[in-house]
Amino acid sequence: MNKLHPPDVAASRAAPAGPVITCELLTKRFGDFVAVNAISFEVAAGEIFGFLGANGAGKTTAMRMLCGLLGPTEGAATVAGFDVFRQPELIKQHIGYMSQKFSLYEDLTVGENIRFYGGVYGLKGAVIREKTTALLQRLGLEAERNTLVGSLPLGWKQKLAFSVALLHEPAVIFLDEPTGGVDPITRRQFWDLIYEAAAAGTTIFITTHYMDEAEYCDRVSIMVDGKIEALASPAGLKRQFGVATMDEVFLHLARGAKNTE
Amino acid sequence: MRIVWFLIEKEVRQLRRNRTLLALLLVAPLIQLVLLSFAANYEIENLTLTVVDQDHSPAARRLIDKFQYTPYFQLTRVRPSSAAAEQDLLADHADLVLVIPPRFERDLVHGGAARVQLLVNGLDNVKAGLASSYAAGVVQAYQDELRPATVQAAVAVRGGLEVVPAYWYNPRLNYKTFMVPGILVEIISLIVMMVATLNIVREKEIGTIEQLNVTPIRKWQFILGKLLPFWVAGLYQFSIGLLLARFLFHVPMVGSVPLLYGIMSVYLLVPLGLGLLISSVSNTQQQALFVAFFFLIIFVLLCGLFTPTEYMPAWARALDAINPLLYIIDIGRRILLKGSTLRDVLRPVLILLGMAGAVNTLAVWRYRKTSG
Repeated sequence: MNKLHPPDVAASRAAPAGPVITCELLTKRFGDFVAVNAISFEVAAGEIFGFLGANGAGKTTAMRMLCGLLGPTEGAATVAGFDVFRQPELIKQHIGYMSQKFSLYEDLTVGENIRFYGGVYGLKGAVIREKTTALLQRLGLEAERNTLVGSLPLGWKQKLAFSVALLHEPAVIFLDEPTGGVDPITRRQFWDLIYEAAAAGTTIFITTHYMDEAEYCDRVSIMVDGKIEALASPAGLKRQFGVATMDEVFLHLARGAKNTE
Repeated sequence: MRIVWFLIEKEVRQLRRNRTLLALLLVAPLIQLVLLSFAANYEIENLTLTVVDQDHSPAARRLIDKFQYTPYFQLTRVRPSSAAAEQDLLADHADLVLVIPPRFERDLVHGGAARVQLLVNGLDNVKAGLASSYAAGVVQAYQDELRPATVQAAVAVRGGLEVVPAYWYNPRLNYKTFMVPGILVEIISLIVMMVATLNIVREKEIGTIEQLNVTPIRKWQFILGKLLPFWVAGLYQFSIGLLLARFLFHVPMVGSVPLLYGIMSVYLLVPLGLGLLISSVSNTQQQALFVAFFFLIIFVLLCGLFTPTEYMPAWARALDAINPLLYIIDIGRRILLKGSTLRDVLRPVLILLGMAGAVNTLAVWRYRKTSG
């Protein structure tokens, strides 16, 4: 499987011991409806973990539980060493999050958005200034520092949102369909940013509907009706189901789903 | 506290770019204060008067003149009969009809007692009340002039009492003195509560709230960061409003203005906290707005500014015990007009302090970073 990043990158990651995310029989019920049904998995430090599933399969619910945005019903889970049930606020200090809904302030400039989120995560003024310059340089957005975010093209906004979510150097970053509605070139640039972050040791937890993006992940899980039906490397999955592409793997599993939108 | 500062900085920046909201916060209340203070008048002038003079005597003429010489009445029509005058009432051409019957002068001279009839248009009961009491005053004055000195002496001997009212704290019953501080506080409450109400829920609608909820920001930091910018705006409005009250409306300021400021800064936390509470439990701006209106209308109409609370039934007054506007308007009048000290207004101040604590604690508690 020809990955975009060289294989030795994984070895060079500053990986702390033990998994960054653990999930054991994690469940979420809304009344009678079981949105997430006893899912179990682990994600290693520095891994790019693809979290796939059809709309309504329970991906976002599961992700929101891991981020401390939604209280789980039962089971157990830890993120960055903190308990999802008891320490959601400690988890928040150590994760980054980028949702499918664009989340920077459109009526603030690029620089002001970076300053605000840096400040909210408790970074000092000098650190924020330093990081702002570096971030803008990396994205090639130096000229846009004083531009209102609302007037940037979507692709730039997404890249900016991703970089802002990494500002406080989190152990894990959760990406909920980060490339939705973005053109292929920008998507490719976005993945370059993801690899860069992963190479620096950040664990990536990403949901997507693009099967080419699934191929870029170290491991992929596929959720159907609230359960994880398959979990392996993209190559492993294709072997397991005896098919040639991730598309076919996904269709094979999702076809049996009851809860689709 | 540093995190709160970043939040405030962000709110101020957003506010600065939202010209409409900024104007609403900084300029609108002052325009409203000036407009409403000049408009809110308990005195009525130029009530339209129809006269039916069936006597055509000098005495009748003098009575009619007396009505005309007050600023309250404007003689617009003269009708031959009561029936014709009633048409004026029906057509809303007359607020008041004065009927002077035949033999008016003769009865006055001979019997010493004559009758006139006043027909009052009662459609607007406040206006009707004023019209009839002004008219009664005019008739009374006419009677006093007419009555021979001997009769007056006789009345005095019989022990007639005359009541001479002295209105303390507002000797000339200047309505502006009474209304301006109340209107000022009312307008400020309305505006700060509205902006607070629409704030958090707006972030929910845009989706930025989720990004904030996934940061380690504490709930009290979040609420405080939302509260402080509008608290400052409220105090700014209050300052300009006080200057206008002093120099444009000549409202006396007998008591301590710093004391009033201190109390106002506590009071502002009540509408702001309530707004933020509504905002954090609402899902859409529309929802939030209607809930806020529900409270605001009750607060405004029951605050005693337009209807004295003493006229209300007991249950309404009991309900009013939780109306923050009632307390602050009362405190404002006491300090400005009467020179009350903190000791005098301690009870309502403590009540406001309790309310401020309660709504803001509730707002922090009800703001959820984790759902389900």
